[in-house]
This record gives sequence, C-alpha cells and structure tokens, in this order.
Amino acid sequence: MKKSSIILIVIIAVAIAMILVIYTDSSTYSTFTEAKEKNTELYVVGVLNKEKDLLYDPVKDANLFSFYMYDKDSTECRVVFNGSKPQDIERSEQIVLTGKMEGNVFHASKILMKCPSKYNQDEVEVIETTAYLAE
Amino acid sequence: MDVNYVGENLLPGKIGQFFVILSFGASLFSLISYFFAAQYNKEPNAKELAAGKSWKTLGRIGFWLNALSIIAIGSTLFYIIYNHLFEYHYAWDHSSRSLPTHFIISCFWEGQEGSFWLWMFWQAVLGSILVFRSRSWEAPVMTFVMLCQTFLACMLIGVEVFGTRIGSSPFILLREAMQAPIFSNPNYLSMIADGDGLNALLQNYWMVIHPPTLFLGFASMIVPFAYAAAGLWQRRYTDWINASMPWALFAVMILGVGIIMGSFWAYEALNFGGFWAWDPVENVSIIPWLTLIAAVHVMLAYKHSGHGYFTATLLALVSFVLVIYASYLTRSGILGETSVHSFTSLGMSGQLIIFNLAFLVITVSLLIWRRKELPRTQKEEDIYSREFWLFIGALVLTVACVQMIATTSIPVFNALFGTKVAPPIDPIVHYNKWQGAFAVVVLLLTAFAQFLKYKRTDPKKFWPALIASFIVALMLAAAAVYFTKVYTNVMYVLITFTAIFCILANIRVLGDALKGKWRLAGSAVSHIGFALLVLGALVAAATNEVISVNESRYIGVQNFGKDGDKFTDPGENLFLTEGEPVQMGDYKITYLGDSTAAPNVYYHIKYEKIDEESGKVLESFRLSPFAQNNPDMGGLIGTPATKHYVTYDIYTLITAASADSQVTATNMQNGEKTGFEDYDEPATYQVSIGDTLRYRNGIFIIDGINKDAKLQNIPLDPKDVLVGLKIKVISGDQKEYDVEPVFLLKEGNAYDFNKDVEEQGLRFRFTNIRPDQDKLEIMVYQKPLPEKKWIVFKAIKFPYINFFWCGTIIMTIGFIMAIYKRIRDAKQEHKITS
Repeated sequence: MKKSSIILIVIIAVAIAMILVIYTDSSTYSTFTEAKEKNTELYVVGVLNKEKDLLYDPVKDANLFSFYMYDKDSTECRVVFNGSKPQDIERSEQIVLTGKMEGNVFHASKILMKCPSKYNQDEVEVIETTAYLAE
Repeated sequence: MDVNYVGENLLPGKIGQFFVILSFGASLFSLISYFFAAQYNKEPNAKELAAGKSWKTLGRIGFWLNALSIIAIGSTLFYIIYNHLFEYHYAWDHSSRSLPTHFIISCFWEGQEGSFWLWMFWQAVLGSILVFRSRSWEAPVMTFVMLCQTFLACMLIGVEVFGTRIGSSPFILLREAMQAPIFSNPNYLSMIADGDGLNALLQNYWMVIHPPTLFLGFASMIVPFAYAAAGLWQRRYTDWINASMPWALFAVMILGVGIIMGSFWAYEALNFGGFWAWDPVENVSIIPWLTLIAAVHVMLAYKHSGHGYFTATLLALVSFVLVIYASYLTRSGILGETSVHSFTSLGMSGQLIIFNLAFLVITVSLLIWRRKELPRTQKEEDIYSREFWLFIGALVLTVACVQMIATTSIPVFNALFGTKVAPPIDPIVHYNKWQGAFAVVVLLLTAFAQFLKYKRTDPKKFWPALIASFIVALMLAAAAVYFTKVYTNVMYVLITFTAIFCILANIRVLGDALKGKWRLAGSAVSHIGFALLVLGALVAAATNEVISVNESRYIGVQNFGKDGDKFTDPGENLFLTEGEPVQMGDYKITYLGDSTAAPNVYYHIKYEKIDEESGKVLESFRLSPFAQNNPDMGGLIGTPATKHYVTYDIYTLITAASADSQVTATNMQNGEKTGFEDYDEPATYQVSIGDTLRYRNGIFIIDGINKDAKLQNIPLDPKDVLVGLKIKVISGDQKEYDVEPVFLLKEGNAYDFNKDVEEQGLRFRFTNIRPDQDKLEIMVYQKPLPEKKWIVFKAIKFPYINFFWCGTIIMTIGFIMAIYKRIRDAKQEHKITS
C-alpha cells in the first residue's frame, strides 16, 4: 500500500471522528421547563414579555439586567443577565438565550436578539409639506 | 391605477436598468463565444483556426460590453445615491442627506445589490488583464470567468419570469418596493424627508476600504478555478499550474488582507470586544482562503515532483465553490439564528443555490470526465522529501476547514434534514479547541518542511540542522511563554513553541536567501508573517483581560431578591460618575464629561497611572470612545477607543450612558405651570419675620410682609385680603434672589400664588396666616438634584496584539515577493516554450 493511501485513510478517519465530536459539542434549543430538569448550559428561544418591566439600573449595578421572557411553550420565566442591558432588546422579535436555570430564575450568559431588520421596515418617515403643488 | 407622480427623476433608473440587462446579455454572449473559441483552440487546420479567432473576437466584444455596462451601472447608482434621489429604493434604504460624502461610497455596498456589483466590477478588472495577458489560455479561462459573470449579472436583473423574480435590481423604485398609503398621493416624494440612512456601525472609514478589498479577494479566486478547470477541459494538465500560480498567490494575499482588515475593523470600530469571534460570517471567508493556501502548496509539490495532481486541481476548484458557498450563507438569511452580522434575505436563496451547484457540478464532472488521463506517478513519495510534507500540510489545512464548515453549516443541515441542532453553546471555545490543535500541526509542518528538499533529502544533513533549530526554538519559546504569561494552558504553550520554531526555520531560509538563493525568500517571509500572526492572535486572545472589573462594589448592593449571593461575581462593566475618579487596576480613571459632534456623543475618560509612593502621575492619557444614540438602530451604539502601546492595547467601550442632556432640557417646566411633578415632597414651615431657614443649596430669610401686593388678572374687592411675603434666598455660592409668594383671602376662601427661584430649583407657597400664633405658614418645594452624568463602560487589555497586525503586514510582503518571482518564472517558461 502506498504511503499516501494510508495517510488518506488516517485523515478521513480523523475527519469523521471530528464531525462526530462536533455533534456531541452541539446543543439543542430547549424550553424553560426542560432547562429546569437538565440543569446544564443550553439555549432557550423565546420572546420578550413587553408588558413587564425590564430592570436595569446602572446607578445601582451596572452588571445586572433582568427581564421576563416567554419560551416556545409560552412559559414565562424571569431572566437575569450579568452584564449591561443590550440596547435594542425592547424591539426584539425573538431572543435566543444561552445559560442555565437556577431555582426559578434563568441565568443568561449570552443574549442573541433578532430585531426587525432595518431593511424590512415598511415604514416611510413622512413629513407634511404642501407647498409643492401651490406654485 | 395610474397616478402621475410629481418630481420623480426616472431617467437614471431607466438607464441603469438598461445597462443591468445589457451586462447580463453581454456576459452570456461572451460566455458562449468564448466557449466555441475554446473548442477551436490549438486546431492545426487554418480554416478552423480562423473560425476560432472570430469566435474569440466576439467573446472579447461581449466582455468589453459587459465591462462597460458594469461601469455604467456603478456610475448611475452613484449618481442616484449622491443626489439623494429617494424615489429609488436603494438610495432611500441605504443613505440619508446628513451622510458625509465619503460614506456615500459605503452606502453603495451596504446592500446586497451593491456588493454583487462590486464583485462583478472586480471580475471585469481581472478579466481585462486576462484578455491581454493570458494568450493561449484566454478562451477557456475566460469561458469560466464569464460564466461566473453571467451568474452575478442575473442577480441584479430584478425581472419576473414565469412568476418568479430573478435577481434584485438596485434601480427599483421606492413605490414599487414597498406598499404604503402615501404612494397613492402623486406628490408623495415631497413627503419623504430623508432616507433611512446608513447603519451606524458601518459609518467608519474601514467600511470604505474593507469590502472592496475582500471582494477583490473573492473575485480573484475565480482565476485559479478557471485555470484548473481549463487545464482539465483542454487537456493541458501540467502547464496551468505555472500560469495560474501568480494569480493564486494574488488571491490568497488579497483575501488574507481583506479578512484581517475586517478583523481590524471589528477590533477598532465595532463593539465585538475583540478581533475574531468565530462568527459564521468570519468563518466562511477564511475557509476558501485556507483551501486555496493548501492548493498553492500542493501545486508547488506537483510542479517539483509530479505528485498530487488530483489534490492540487481539486483544491483549486473547491476553493471557488466555497467562495460561492460563503456568499450563499451570508446572503440567503439562513444564518439568521447564529449570526447577527449577515445580510438579510432578499429572497434569492434559490438563485444562489443554483449558482453554487453549477460550479460544484463543473468541478465534479470535469474531474470524473478526465479521471483516467490525470497525470500520476508510479513512484512513491520519499518520506524525506518536501513534497510529501507539503502534501500532508495541505491535507491538515483541509481537515481544519472541514471542521469549520461542519460547525458553521449546522443551520444548513437543519434546513436540509429538518433537524433542530443548535450550534455549540460557546463557539469561541469550540473553535479554539479544534483550530488550536490544527495550528500546532500546521506550524510544525511549516517549520520542518523548510529543512527538506524536493525529491530526496539526506537524513544525515536533515536531522542535525532540525535538532539545532528545535533546541533554540525551545529556549526562546520558554522565555516567550514566561513573558507573555500563557503557561496556564498546554495548547497555548504548544502554539507558542511551534510558532517560534516556524519563525526560526524560516529565518534560516531567509539567511540562505541573503547568500544569493532568492528563490524561496517570498515564501519564507510569508511563513514568518503567518507564524507571527498566529502568535499574536494566541497571546492577545488567551491573555486579554477585562480591566473594568467592578472590584469596589464586590459585596452588597446587588442583592437582588433572594438569590443575592449569585451576583457577587464582579461584572465586566464599570459605572463611572462624572468627575469622580475610580481606581481600575493600575489606572485611576475619571469620566471628564461628554461632547457632542452630531450624531455622535464622545465620552471623555482620563486614564492616569499614579506612582503609589510618591503620588506622581507616571502616565496620563485620554480616551474618547463615542456612541451614537440612534433610535432606529436600537438606541446607543458604541464605538470603542483604544490606546495603543508597543506591547499591549487598552480598549474602552461605552455600554450605557445617562440620557442625553437635551432630553432633560425639554422636560423642564416653566415657572408659570402649576405642575408640581418635578419637585420633591414639600416642607411646610411656620415662620416669623426675620427667620432664617435652610434649603439644600443655601439659606433663605423671611424678610417681611408686603401689604401692597398686587395681582394683575384678578379684580380685588376692598374686603379681600392680599398679602405678599418677601423672601430673600441666598445660595451656597452667595447669589441672592428675591421672591414674593402671595396669599389671598377672597370671599372667605383662601388662595395662594406660588413663586419660583428657577436657578435654585425652588418654589415657595405662602399658604396661611395664623394671627393667633403670630406665625406665617409657607411651603417650600425643591427640585431633586439634577442627576449627575454617568457612563457604564468596559475596558479590555489586549497584550501583544501588535504581533497580529505585524504578522499580517509581513505575510503580505512575503506574498508580493512570491508573486513577483512566480510572474518571472512564468515569463521565462513562456520564452522557453516559444
């Protein structure tokens, strides 16, 4: 057998092993209920509860932000984030949280938001001017 | 419904759309002509040669028409954006009147259409060089270039065919692109005040130069593809390698520079908090770069030894397929949940998939078609030969790319198989783990392959030289690990060592070059650059530390509900009040205040390093990170400021700030209003004439009673009692104010009229007279103290990041040297053959 064939086989084996490991590294999108059971770091997808207050008072603590979120099963849960408030969270359509459940509070280590894109906004800022036709 | 719209300037759009169609038609025409021209290539028959020549002329005409159309499209689009013709969706969507001229250029490629145009433009530029310089390669190579050009041109057409929209035209009108009630008004244009503007993050000079560089890199990847494919098609198996080598090196160089520019932009101007985040958008641009680097190495191995033809061709072809895959991932919106940086979908993913599959099919079918004819050698590679290890190195790079593709493509697999796999929780850890290991192997191979010769090396010479360098590298690495403090992790130590070993081995080659062997100088320099780059990235990424740690308030305060203890972690954001210094690590920092240069607000932060014993200021500098408060873009968008030193950088970013002063200004009530909302709870006092009382900022004295007080609007009856109370306010800074609240008894009812001292935020009411106690009753209202300005910010120290940038520059210089050499090689070879 040629050396290059052996190497090729080794490399293919490494590549397959690697892809398998990647998928053990990967995670799943879960819900708050599942997060309570599992007690490990995971993703939770959901929407912001815009009726409840977002709590961020940098004067008291610049690293504490908390809000309420509904997950896909519409379970509501309080989320605490150890950092400053992401700027456009009020406008978010969807939130992907990374973190784990501790007691009844979800501790997020990362917040990824999907905001209505500036490009899809079907709003034209309109001003009133009527002088144009009067001439 | 036909409405006669007023004030629209439709001519540029029509001209633009005409050239869009022309560019598509011309490139298709050129593609077909070149295809037939290539069929006649090298036919000995004079008649057929003439036919081939005329096909080639047609191909050239098509090419130049296409190039002309591209320039016309660009000029028209620029005219539209520059003159703020908001009747066009592209201008409205991507620019605004307030935008400075140099950023109008960035608007151009903020949208997908503009970036497709940029790609076409570069391809036309490269094509014109090929037309003049590629001689016998022109027809087959240009066939593939024009095929790509045709695909790109159809992305801009924006015409509906059988109910499906093909492409997206940059010349579409606003009223065609959107549905809104104002478009039923013929005069709608006068109601549109301004465009939607350019994303604040993109208003940066890097946005002016980074996309053109990156797209030049992507565009130039077509050339090695075209040569490799043409080599198979025309059965010119060997000579495509020399002809395309300078192009492949050029593509690798420009794409590399473009990627690092993006990284520098992210570091200097974006708020990612670093220079590389393993974001899918970053990954997909680095994958084709690495595969083409692998291709270049195997091409060299084949050239010198005849081994690895299949691998060289495959890698050169696949690199361009991966470029298209990258553009599919970033443009189709499929990365929506994993990346915040990709384009939004324009509904063209079908078209992009066809584009991608077309080039994949070409790659696979050409290789299958010619599989029996591919040059191969029966002889086995010697293990003591350079080509063997070049080959191994290329395979390792490829496997590294497979890892990146596998993880980055998780959303694609989800879409394909309907699974719901989420990417790794912490992508940076995930990628670093894998790519760190690959970097060690690649650097090690780059180092010891330098001690080997092509075909066969004498082991007796190889081992001593290798071991000597190895030991020196080991000692230097020990010192480097100690000084950069990366000894916490085995992988860090290994990368540091292999990078240094790689630098040493290549310096040795450079030493030979100085003795006259200039041939390998270019590769040695770029290898040194690459090793420095990896080293800089490692040290900066591994040892960067957030220095804005909230130490002073480690305990307490943040008790939040029951689980207070969970929050005793110091956060990464520091709260600073104007004028109140805080100690942060080695620095005393003070927030000095802000200044506005619309639309940005600059926050000035003074850093001082103070000698603890003498109290002397050792070092002082000011950083002014700025932020743009843009409600459309989601509030405050920070842009960092960085202090650069030779061995480290201090990076500062504003994450939150007190509301702008303008906002509070508009909320202030004028004195005539009776609203008491702005004031704190009042204090009621029973006073006598001559009393002195305190308020928050000074004192006030009850001076006396004014029996002749008058009210303008209320007619007085002789029986009514109207009394003013003279009060003198003396503020802390010795300013005096006189104020006279009034008390009125009218028809048995008591009224009072308050008076304000606005400067002191005071309001007085004279509410009662108590003759029985000989006292007067007053109520004093005070405004709450104006909130002091504050900011929340994050500061990170990046050690040795300059290695990263230096490495890039050195690597680029190495590539330029190598390109120069390969062009000379190719010319000499041409002379020999002709």
